[in-house]
Amino acid sequence: MSSESLNLTLRIWRQDGPNAKGGFRDYKLNGVSTHMSFLEMLDVLNEQLIEAGEESVAFDHDCREGICGACSLMIDGKAHGPDQATTTCQLHMRRFHDGDTITIEPWRASAFPVLRDLVVDRSAFDRIIQAGGYVSVNTGNAPDGNAIPVPGTVQETAMDAAACIGCGACVAACKNASAMLFVSAKVSQLAVLPQGKAERGERVLSMVAQMDEEGFGHCTNTSECEAACPAEISVDNIARLNREYVRASLVSGK
Amino acid sequence: MDVLCKILSIPATLLAKVPGIGPIVKVCCTSVGQKILMALTGLSLCGFLVAHLAGNLNLFAGEEAFNGYAEKLHSLGPLLAMAETGLFGMFVLHIGLAVSTTAMSRRARTNQYEEKNSKQQGFILPNGGASNLMLVTGLIIFAYLVLHIIDMKLNLRGFESGDNKFQLVRNVLRNPMNGVFYVVAILALGVHLTHGVTSACQTLGISHPRWNKLIRILGVLFAWKIAIGFISLVVWAYATI
Ligand code: HEM
Ligand code: FES
Repeated sequence: MSSESLNLTLRIWRQDGPNAKGGFRDYKLNGVSTHMSFLEMLDVLNEQLIEAGEESVAFDHDCREGICGACSLMIDGKAHGPDQATTTCQLHMRRFHDGDTITIEPWRASAFPVLRDLVVDRSAFDRIIQAGGYVSVNTGNAPDGNAIPVPGTVQETAMDAAACIGCGACVAACKNASAMLFVSAKVSQLAVLPQGKAERGERVLSMVAQMDEEGFGHCTNTSECEAACPAEISVDNIARLNREYVRASLVSGK
Repeated sequence: MDVLCKILSIPATLLAKVPGIGPIVKVCCTSVGQKILMALTGLSLCGFLVAHLAGNLNLFAGEEAFNGYAEKLHSLGPLLAMAETGLFGMFVLHIGLAVSTTAMSRRARTNQYEEKNSKQQGFILPNGGASNLMLVTGLIIFAYLVLHIIDMKLNLRGFESGDNKFQLVRNVLRNPMNGVFYVVAILALGVHLTHGVTSACQTLGISHPRWNKLIRILGVLFAWKIAIGFISLVVWAYATI
């Protein structure tokens, strides 16, 4: 068989609903093109399942170009598969070998309950954003360009943090199921900019409180999140969150 | 574990209602606040280790020097008692917080992965490096601590000492079981601090891309300087008659 096409065994987590007991099912999939993306490979599997009259495998996806954060999947024990800085939708089947068995699991965290098969409920992230991940001070009309001077390095820092697509790989990869990388990116992107500084104290306190409320774990600084992050968010953001937190707990008005 | 945490959190919930300090107590109960306290107590304990090792290195200077140091230390009386109480408090806090944060994180993932692999590379230690060995090494240190106090401070097991700290220390260390256990525990301490010092800096927000490598190197150097220092005392006990 040429290297253009793979015969695979897929070990996939199947679970009928949030409260159903799940388990692994093995599927054989032959003739997978190495040019396919990982999600296209699952599409092919689902077509076969539907033709055979079986339930298709549920998995999250939307943009399929690495910007929306909808796709997930623990692939052979690694969030978004073996590549660095890659989402599952950007992962290609040429990363795998003919005859491989690929284990596919949903993100596992108490705060991300499984809804069905590989789909988990990530609304905990939305509630953390609702707790303070925004700027609410009324700024009036749009200011003139460059009316608020922001140094280039600060812009870069904010943009790097804002690259977070909220996929949850940091939580999935962390041994503590901690959401610190996500929360720290969302705190940082606003805390370093003048428009976000006004509410920085309240913001970090509220978002951390919500993070705990949702049942995420604590941060051991293993940096596994950084390695798993498709947007290459740095753990330096976690240090910034900690700084913001110390500052806020000592002097914030709350 | 959950019940234990609930009971342990009672004083904190009460303190959180006190005006003035209330908000600070409240933030100390969050995951981030607890971790900050852990880092502060951990670093304070590192300070103790430096002082303790510095004092004990007097063993190399001989019987007279070491006994002189021990006497001077004990002549501090109430000051020493205060320091010891503080130290005890640090340990209780550090361990209590270790249990509390670990419990929090166990609850955060109740269904385990069938397969889990690291996306990081280049670990010397097994199991994903020192950061994944904090609780195990911490517990070894704790067991060691208990034995250490039983023998060195209280001498409950009745080692030959002739009312002399120098002789006592040497006889305790020369017991082969003790010697092996001490070395193992100190190695565990080295591993604990290999991650601990750098981690504490990160937890306290001391981080900058320009300095992080240096902080890491200094942290690891500190950890193993301390460890080698203490192990040298065990070696000394066997090397001298
Ligand atoms: C001389 C004794 C000790 C010293 C100097 C020490 C020091 C430290 C330091 C500096 C940290 C890093 C804090 C941070 O990451 O922010 C740490 C973490 C930790 N310590 Fe200790 N420690 C000692 C004893 C213990 C003991 C007896 C335990 C018992 C269980 C323990 C359990 C832990 C745990 C579990 C962590 C990791 C926390 C996490 O997951 O983030 N330590 N320690
Ligand atoms: S589907 Fe949008 S990031 Fe993968």
